[in-house]
Parts: sequence; C-alpha cells; structure tokens
Amino acid sequence: MKRYSQILLALVVTTLVLSSCETVIDPNLQKADPVLVVEAWLNNKPGDQVINLMKTQPYFDNTTPPGVSGATVTVQDSEGEVMSFLEDPNKKGTYRWSPLVGKTFGEVGRGYKLTVTLNGETFESVSYMGRVPEIDSITFKFEEKSSFYPKNSYTAEFWSRDLPGMGDTYWIKTTKNDTLLNKPAEISLAFDAGFSQGGNFDGVTFIPPIRSSINPNNTDADGKALSPYSPGDSVYVEIYSITNQTFNYLNQVSVQTNRPGGFGELFSSPLSNVSTNIYNSNPKGSKVVGFFNVAAVSGLGKRLKK
Amino acid sequence: MKLSFLLLVITSFAAQAQLKHTISGYVKDTSNGEALIGATVFVKETGGGSITNVYGFYSITVPAAAYTIEISYVGYEKIVKQVNLENDIRLDIELKQEAEQLQEVVVTAEEDEKSDKVQNIEMSTNKLSIATIKKIPAFLGEVDIVKSLQLLPGISTVGEGASGFNVRGGSVGQNLILLDEAPVYNSSHLLGFFSVFNPDAVKDTKLYKGAIPSRYGGRLSSLLDVRMKEGNIKKFEATGGVGTIFSRLAIEGPIVKDKGSFIIAARRSYIDVLARPFVQLLKDGGALNFYDLTMKANYNLNDKNRVYASGFFGRDNFLFDKNQGFSWGNSTATLRWNHIFSKRLFANITGVYSSYDYKLQFGTDNINNFKWRSSISNYIFKPELSYFINTNNEVNFGGEVISYSFQPANAVGTSNGEAVDVSLARKYNRESSLYIGNSQKISPAFAVEYGMRYSFFQYLGEGSAYRYNDTIPGKRRTPISEKTYKKGETIASYGNWQPRFSVKVQLNEQSSIKSSYNRMVQYLHLISNTTASNPLDVWTPTSNNIKPQLADQMTLGYFKNIGKSNQWEASVEGYLRYTANQIDYIDGADLLINKYLEGDLLSGKGRAYGMEFYVQRKTGRLTGWVSYTLGKTELKVDGINRGDWYPTRYDQRHNFKVAAFYDINKRWSLSGDFIFTTGTPTTFPTSRYVSQGILIPYNANESRNNVRLSSYNRLDLSVRMEGKQFKRGKARKNHDYWVFSLYNVYARKNPFSIYFTQLDKRYVNGDPLQSQAVQLSIIGSIVPSVSYNFKF
Repeated sequence: MKRYSQILLALVVTTLVLSSCETVIDPNLQKADPVLVVEAWLNNKPGDQVINLMKTQPYFDNTTPPGVSGATVTVQDSEGEVMSFLEDPNKKGTYRWSPLVGKTFGEVGRGYKLTVTLNGETFESVSYMGRVPEIDSITFKFEEKSSFYPKNSYTAEFWSRDLPGMGDTYWIKTTKNDTLLNKPAEISLAFDAGFSQGGNFDGVTFIPPIRSSINPNNTDADGKALSPYSPGDSVYVEIYSITNQTFNYLNQVSVQTNRPGGFGELFSSPLSNVSTNIYNSNPKGSKVVGFFNVAAVSGLGKRLKK
Repeated sequence: MKLSFLLLVITSFAAQAQLKHTISGYVKDTSNGEALIGATVFVKETGGGSITNVYGFYSITVPAAAYTIEISYVGYEKIVKQVNLENDIRLDIELKQEAEQLQEVVVTAEEDEKSDKVQNIEMSTNKLSIATIKKIPAFLGEVDIVKSLQLLPGISTVGEGASGFNVRGGSVGQNLILLDEAPVYNSSHLLGFFSVFNPDAVKDTKLYKGAIPSRYGGRLSSLLDVRMKEGNIKKFEATGGVGTIFSRLAIEGPIVKDKGSFIIAARRSYIDVLARPFVQLLKDGGALNFYDLTMKANYNLNDKNRVYASGFFGRDNFLFDKNQGFSWGNSTATLRWNHIFSKRLFANITGVYSSYDYKLQFGTDNINNFKWRSSISNYIFKPELSYFINTNNEVNFGGEVISYSFQPANAVGTSNGEAVDVSLARKYNRESSLYIGNSQKISPAFAVEYGMRYSFFQYLGEGSAYRYNDTIPGKRRTPISEKTYKKGETIASYGNWQPRFSVKVQLNEQSSIKSSYNRMVQYLHLISNTTASNPLDVWTPTSNNIKPQLADQMTLGYFKNIGKSNQWEASVEGYLRYTANQIDYIDGADLLINKYLEGDLLSGKGRAYGMEFYVQRKTGRLTGWVSYTLGKTELKVDGINRGDWYPTRYDQRHNFKVAAFYDINKRWSLSGDFIFTTGTPTTFPTSRYVSQGILIPYNANESRNNVRLSSYNRLDLSVRMEGKQFKRGKARKNHDYWVFSLYNVYARKNPFSIYFTQLDKRYVNGDPLQSQAVQLSIIGSIVPSVSYNFKF
C-alpha cells in the first residue's frame, strides 16, 4: 500500500503550483564503531553460491565496503548436510561454495542454518527455501497516452499466479538488457499475489502494480520519466521465494531507501534501522547486521520486437 | 448514586436561594442579532456577575433590591441598566459595535475588565477573534484559523504542509476539534496547507490547552472549539472574496426577521478551472480541487426555546483521470435545542453526526483496478445543563453518548478480472460520559472551578478480537488466537474517572495567580508514522490490545494587566503533563489495510513540560502580541531508542512569535508576524552498509531523533487597503478591501526534513554506491499574494 500512496501523493502534489526546494547538504554525523555485515543470499540457480562479510562504514564514506577475512562460514540444511563456504583468495570477504557438476544449491522445503565464526564469536541465522510459481508470460503494451509515462511508451507486464495457500512471499527481480534493475524504487515484493499479508490475495494472478513492477524507473536529466522499453530491448524477470521475515526486511529497506523527495517526503517514514536475522550467539557480544535468505527461483525472458 | 448526589447539590443550593430573584436573558449584537459569547453582565452593587455562555445566555440570581447592571463585551459599547428587582426579570440585551473603523483606537480596555484573563478563572485558553485572524498575514492570502492559532504560545507545527497542529507537546491526534459541537477528524485542505474552516462562517474560536472544564473530554492535549456564525437576523448580507487559492461567498439573512436566521458559506479552489484549457490531465477527466460548504440556521420558537441546525461538508479531490486518484473529506451535521427550563436552569441538547473518509482508486480498466475507502463516523447525543445557582455558583452537568463506527478499509482489488475483497471488518464502539462541575466564587479574591467526568468506553461486536504473543521490545507481535463476538457483545471495556480542578487567587485588580489539575482520557488513536501527519492517517479505537491514553496535566500561571487603562496584558504559565499508553510503531510497521495492525503498535509513556510567556497590547494604533514558549516533550517506549527517553518529532525547545498590527490611517493598515522556533528533531544515520546492491543508512547507536534540523524562522507582512467609503460624496453601502501579502519575506529555505539516500543512478558493476543527504524545504521562496474581499 505504501507504494501506491507514495506514487500517487508525490504526483498529486508536484502538480500543484507550489514548488518545494531541495539542497544537498553535508551535515556532521555522530561517530560509531564499524559493525559486521553478513550478506548471505543463496538460491538454487546454477553456479557458485556466495556469502559476503563486510564492515559498516561512516555514512559518507563512498568507497567499496571493506571485506572481512578469516571467518569460518558454513550452511547446514535440515537433512544434516553441511556446506562449507571458503574465502576467495582473490576477493577479501567473499566466501564461496561450488556445487557438484550438474547440481544446484538447496531444495524447496528444506530449512537452512548459517554459522559464521569470527575472532572467537559465533553469528547464526536460519532460513528456509520456499516454493515459487512459474512465470507464464511477459507482454508488452504500447501506450499512446499514459498517466505515468510519456506519450507513445512501451510498458511490460509479467503474468504469473500465486501458488494456492496463504503466506508465500516473493521478490520479483528484473533485468533489462543485462542490467539488473536495483534502484530502491524498483524493489518489488509480493505477499501471495498482493502487497501485504492483510491484502489477502491468495492463489490469484499477481495484482496489476506487481505485474507491471518490471518497468525500469528511468528518468532523463530533468527528472522526467522515460519510456520503460523501446523496440529491441530485452527483459528477463525472476521470482525469488523469500521467507516472511525477508519480506518484512525488504519492505523496510524499500521504505528506508526509496526516498521520492519533494512533497513525497510528507508521506515518508522517519529514518530507522532495518531489521536483521543474524544473531550473535552471545547477546552481549559484538553487533551484527545483514540478512540470510535461501530462495528458489523461476524466470522468463522476452525481447520487444523491432 | 451520581444522580442523587447531583440532585442533592442542586436542591441544597436552591434551598438557600429562595428569597432571591433572577435576571436572565441573551446578549446579542445589535447589528445582526449574533449571540455574543463571553460577554460580561456585572452587578455593580454586589461586585458579582455572570458571563454569557456559548449561546449568549446569562443568568444572575441576587436578593431583591435595586441594582445597576453593566453589560459589556470587547469591541462593543457598554450598556448600563438600572433594575429594580422585585421579581424575576427576563432581560435580553443588544450591544452596539464600536465605530467600525479604527475601532481598536477608540476602545478602552476598561470595557472588558471583568472578562479579561486576570479576572477570569480560566487559564491556558486562547481566543482569537475573527477580526484578528483576518489581519494576520496569511499563506497565499487565505485567511486561516488553524494557521493563525499557531502564532499563540504553546502551539506549534512540524512544518508547512503538515496537517493539524501540536499543543504543549501533544501529537496532532490529541486535539479535539469541534465545529458547532461536531468533531472534525481532519481539519486540513490540500494536505495541511489550509484548514477547513471558512473564516466567513466562523464567529468564535477558543482553544483550551489545559484546565479543560469537565464538560469536555476525549482528547489528551487540547480542545479547539469553533463556533459558526448564526447569520444576520435583521437583514440580508453577502460576504465574499477572491483570493489566490479560494473564491468564497457567504450569504446570510433572516428567515423571519428577529425570529430566525441562516448562513450559507461556500469556498472552492479554482486553480483547476483556470488551468483546464492548458492541462491535458484535467481535460481527460482528472480533477484537482477542494471545496467546503458551511451552513447554519436557527429559529427562535419562543422565549424559552431556540433551535439550531448546522452542517459542514468539505472535500479534496485529486484525480489523474476518471479512474485513478485520491479524495478525502469531512462532513458534519449538528442539531441543537436550547431550552430555558427556568430562569436559572439552561439546557442545551445536541445531536451530532460526523464523519471523515478517504478514497483511493487505481487501475486502468474494469478488470484491473483497486478501490479502497476508509472512514470513521459517529453519532453523538449530548444533553448539557447549566444551573445558575447564584452569582457565586454556576453548576454545569450533563452527559454524552458517542457511537462510533470505524471502517479501516473497504477495499476490492480486481486482478485480471478476478475480484478479491481485501476489506477489513468494521469496528464498533461506544463512549458514554457523565460530568458535573461547579464554578464557585468563594470570596472576591478567591475562585475555584471543580468537576468530575466519568467516561466508559466499549469495544463492541460484531467482530473478531485477536490475542497476540507477548511483546519482545520493538518486534512485530503475531496473533495467537482469535475470538468472534456477536453483534452488541462487549469485547473490551474501560472506565475512567477524570477529575478537573482550577483555582484563582486575585492578588489585586491588576494581577492574579491561577493553577489547575486535569486528567484527560483518549479512546481514539490517530495512527501515523510518517514525518508529518497526513490525510491517509487512520483513526483506530481502543481495544482489548490498545489501552486508552491517559494524561495528567498541572498548570500554574501568573496574569497581569499593565498600563493605565490596562492596555497591556501579560501572562506566564508553566505546564507539566505526564501521559501513559502513548502509541508508537515497530520499525517497518504496516499501518494500511493490515488486519493485524495492533501487532505493529508499541505502547509507552510521555512527559511534556514548558513555560509560556505572553504579552499583548490590546489597544492603540499598534496592537499585537509577543509569545515565547520554552518546552520539552519526550516519549519512552520499550524497543525504541534503547528504551531511553527520546524527543518527539514535534519537540521544540524555543518557540518565539510576534504578531503586530498597525493602523496607518482610515484606509491603510499594516500587519506582520515573525516566527522563530528550534528545529524539530530527526534521526541521522552514523553508518552505511550495502545489502543486495542497495545502500542502507544505519544508526549504530540505535538512537531515535538524535539530531535537530536547523531553526525555523520566517517573516510575513501584509498591507490592507480599505475600499473607498464615499463615492461622489455619498457614503457607499458596500464595504470592501484588498489585502496584499508577502509570506516568507526574506525567502528563507526552512528545512522540513533531511533525508539520506543513495544517488539516483544506475551503478555499473562494482562501482561503490554514492550516499548523500538532502534537505527539503517545502517553501523555499517568497510567496506573494493578493486578495479582494467584499461585504454588501
């Protein structure tokens, strides 16, 4: 719902004669010690699985986050199988596991436990590989007139139906011409076929705003929306199954990072920390942030004919 | 039990008063018959008297004798009457306004000495006359009641565009706003830029910040009592104006001369009308407008009975096309019956309907759309009685029953032809209250007002109530059981005693000390976790999971009149308020269309304290006031800010305001206001990290509201030019004037918020994300405007 209201209200108010004014500033921030970041997002796609350990940086430090070496990283599934992630000697802080030839990581329905041991401390988390529906098709539409895009735009929509049974949560990721759409405004999540648990859309086709969430949020130099697709463009859509916890986490990420600016700020939430599902086994030990999720993935691609 | 106590009080007073007689009646404006609220009726010989109530009624009971009665009201000529009181007398009085032009120059403050802040027992109240409100330089030239209130001590806002206002460190949802006794749940047009009250239809506004009498209850921090005009009972009159945003027109006149009158006032924004030929969106069925309609009629059945009907309807529409958009609005209807049972027993019986709703609609066609409506509506029945025992005692008692119906979401989504109803069940509640209070003069120097209010709140079926697991501080609670209730069954109920007490000690003619204690209870909660309150905020009732909010407020004040004719009025007030069961939200709370909303709410306690300094110059060519508030307001909620106290979003340490009005000559006058407030608190991150290619701001200290925006300051000026009073030597019948105003004269970019975000661009593989902090000013420039106003 948040998304609906934000899009609308930002639009509503920018149409008004009043004009707001934004300035980039450089405020002094309080100092804080670096905290361990665990980024463990695993899936059943072919290829290596990677877990990254990093440290937080001062907010205005615009360099690549520093990797953390020397940790022992393992993932154990509910059948007792242990997978050891070994640090990549060429990439500090990157821990890798390679499946046997022809195999992939994980199985739908299994639980997973992550254990990271670093400097005598143990950090743990659990996740679960949920099921995921297939994508039936992707369609393009030519829109002569549109409320949100310029005249003569091409928009895309994917068609898929939520699996019957309440409580499935998904993350829809889109790649346009080999570029992953990962601006904060492009985070697309579904609780069953709708936006949230309260939505109650179970077992139906994903609701329209989710179906059309695969359109990139591209603007020109003046901030005007561009046509999402042009003839010749390709699009690849993937649905990742995520746990309900991950769904909440990514929702928070979206709320905290998708700042439309302008009058939209009247409707945005104050800054607060996003959650984490990684815990130090010693509650009094050092802090940790980040997330662990194990996803099953389905995907489909299409090219808009010239 | 209570009733017998009540009867006992009344009969015991009545018994002593048998050899006395009563003078009673209404005080009105001679030009249009409007009842004058708060006019003083003073008996010279006894030194006592009465103040007219909100219907203009007064009653004085004194031993039989000859008396000199003085009737006075600010801005009106005093009337002195000799009365030989041998039996009960009905005395309706009409007062004449002082000379229309430059009235502030002529008036001497002596007139209202008995009703002024020093003499009156009331404290922590602010009254703004419509005449004053109309002089305050206004944003885009639109005279606005709520914005004008913000120039008074103890009242603040988080910034332009935010709905509502904050009183003494309370939240926007803790103000009870009554328009002719009907609660108004959202007082704003265009998010928060304008308020819904049409100044042409409003007679009187009064804000209670503390020492709230027992006849009012239901919100923690304040009561804004807006009374509509009754309409001119003597002749037809039209007032109106053309401004930058609104065009206004009000028509009033007698229904039957001197018996009944009516007023109809309408306003509409007209930007869309002007823009329609140029904007495609508006041609395609889009809309962008807001309007309101205010109506009132009253009829005097006979000496003892008078009836009033009033209504309000307002709406904001923002539609992109025929099928998509957003709209919201309030509607209220009030029926009142004033009945004089006896010369000393005045009754008012009120019936109210009031509702607020918003609608959201999206979708391109019939098989893909989403419609959502949310509303709160209520019916109120409220009998109120005033018993004027003698000049030293006035007892007010009565009751109130409010029946609420909440519709959190009536929503249907259609996805590819399959309709899914995602509505949430309605919630039903009843709030019943009884109150009694007495305003008693113990000696000329010593007066007290004491009362008790009892309210009982029920959460009723039909409906489902959920039980949640125990709170882990700051985490979402999940439902563990559900119980269904039949229609009318009580799901949860709460009862609360609310004592009220005020005392005044008169030090001398020019100064007094007052103090009060007040307990307030609030059963409705405004759910909002955005930076500023907005029209999508949902009201939710107290339930088995949400406890009623409680507040205890103590105040102490010193009031003084200065100058030969008391042309200066000064006061210092301190307040202290402790609140319990304050609502806050878990991080990432889902507040819209969420069946399990209650699991996302946290509960904590609050404290607010402050000092308000106020000096007003009431007469002379230069009038106006200076107000300064030193305040602090904090919350403590498990799971937020490491469980420590943190400042609320609307906490302002310093709040300094000046309003000044200067009459140059009969045609020209100048007005100005200046505001300086400490920046509001906000949360800054300390650190950053990257999760899934997105830059996350992180506060490693887990603090809430740990820094402040830079201060807010603004100067506004306006010039008013009266239209010519004579045309070719003849006096003009019509009265008109122009107002030219400048808002934010020195174009300060006052910060509304600062947000932290990654630079909006596509990051090519491996490029580190770039962070930035952006300061947003809602109004970043000087805003000039002009308006034309008329009356004929």
